[in-house]
Amino acid sequence: MKDLFFLAFIGYVLLLGLKRPFLWVLLYVYIDILAPQRIGYSIITTLPLSLIAFAAAFGGWLMLDRKEGARFTLRQGLLLGLLAYCWWSTGRADFPEEALTKWDWVWKALLFAIFLPLTLTTRARIEGLGLVLLLSVATIVIATGLKVVTGGGGYGELNFFVDDNSGIYESSTLATVAIGLIPLLWWFVKHGTIFPRHWTVTAFAAGLTFAALLVPVGTEARTGLLCIAALAVLMLRYTRRRFLFIAGAGLLGIVALPFLPQSYYDRMATIAEPGGDESASTRVAVWKWTLDYVEQRPLGGGFDAYRSNRFTYVMPVKKTEGNTTAIRYQQVEDKARAYHSSIFEMLGEQGWPGLAMWLMLHALGLWQMERIQRRWKRAEAETERWIAPMAAALQMGAVIYLVGALFQGIAYQPVMLMLVGLQTGLATYCARIDSARSALGRSVSRRAAAQGKMRGAVAA
Amino acid sequence: MIDTLALALGHGLMAIAMLRLVTRAGLDEDPLLGELAAEANSKRKAASASGRNAARRSGGGGEVSGAAAAEAAE
Repeated sequence: MKDLFFLAFIGYVLLLGLKRPFLWVLLYVYIDILAPQRIGYSIITTLPLSLIAFAAAFGGWLMLDRKEGARFTLRQGLLLGLLAYCWWSTGRADFPEEALTKWDWVWKALLFAIFLPLTLTTRARIEGLGLVLLLSVATIVIATGLKVVTGGGGYGELNFFVDDNSGIYESSTLATVAIGLIPLLWWFVKHGTIFPRHWTVTAFAAGLTFAALLVPVGTEARTGLLCIAALAVLMLRYTRRRFLFIAGAGLLGIVALPFLPQSYYDRMATIAEPGGDESASTRVAVWKWTLDYVEQRPLGGGFDAYRSNRFTYVMPVKKTEGNTTAIRYQQVEDKARAYHSSIFEMLGEQGWPGLAMWLMLHALGLWQMERIQRRWKRAEAETERWIAPMAAALQMGAVIYLVGALFQGIAYQPVMLMLVGLQTGLATYCARIDSARSALGRSVSRRAAAQGKMRGAVAA
Repeated sequence: MIDTLALALGHGLMAIAMLRLVTRAGLDEDPLLGELAAEANSKRKAASASGRNAARRSGGGGEVSGAAAAEAAE
């Protein structure tokens, strides 16, 4: 039944795309995020949906799109450089088989992020992409939020549509993405034209925000809590009554406390004392190992190079018998532990050049969004006043992602790479408006010059 | 039950959004950019027309006809 439902929806979008091929780009975004082929059971699991959607999106753009205003930018160049570097490092990887498995999805995510801005040539397309991206993630977030409210949850215990703890269906990743998209969600409430301003849109956004905030609670993902804190700090910049905001946020936190389960408190307590938890202790050990590793191999060891790590560390183990709790320090041996940080993921796998490209990609994005915000913040026309708030929302989303990325290996997270594509598309669109304006300015001054000369000729 | 509800809501909203996008005039051609380009075009034409008129009025005088010729060449 689910399979038929998904296939009907995909068929519907494929049909609509016959009239407007851009919709096939949106179809790929939907399939890549939600992965219906992994949710279904029978026929849909055998179809190469991702490939079909990508072929339709790329073919449609290549053959049917006007391509007017499509530009290749510096950030796309960086992505292309990273893609080429990853291809090269995969060929000389420490673990060739595992590296090929990761390469298999990374190249698609990078290629799509390079391609995406070429299709975002109009305001409607930018908005359409943002909305489909948001609603695809929202579908997972709504289900998660409802499960938490109805009593489910626990670290690694909450069931998503797909039960394999990969991609966006990994609890910490979902928490980061869900929190990161909250600013974009509220941009849609204020500036959206596909679903224009209406109380139902506001109510949906409020419910979705609540559900997104529940994701870190339900999954007990510590990174999610840090992302919420980052969101609160970022919102201070755009809040007029800052003290009221801080007081309100504090009050909301206090009101929420009694509703949180004890297991949540226990897990969050480990943020402050990382030594007391194996997952947190290994992070520090893996990061140290990575720094040693790149001293030997500054160009990185290819995807999944962490598999060769092995280390021992001392960890306190609590044992409670009756009323007494004894803490014994035990030596723990660990091996092949994942990076638990995108910075170290890039460093270990792609070395210093890869890390530099990745950091530059995101730093340029933050700077670009800042520049757009400042340039367009005074725009009042309906056709332009949406630009600065969208740049602000995308910048906040990027910062929240980077905070989450400090503690998770999500350097190539497809949703975040799509956000990079959206940022690039917005920047190109703004540059095109500026250049159209200056062309208009030139033609006006040329006209004035011609009229001036005419007057001069008449006077003579 | 929860999964079905969430899937129905998400897909329903996406279906409406995509239908609205398909019927929207500004999806493939941006109205603002189109407007700016059209305005620049008409001003350019007006500028070259006024240059030509001036040239005609001045009886093909050197300076103005040169400017008009440059405009026309563009």
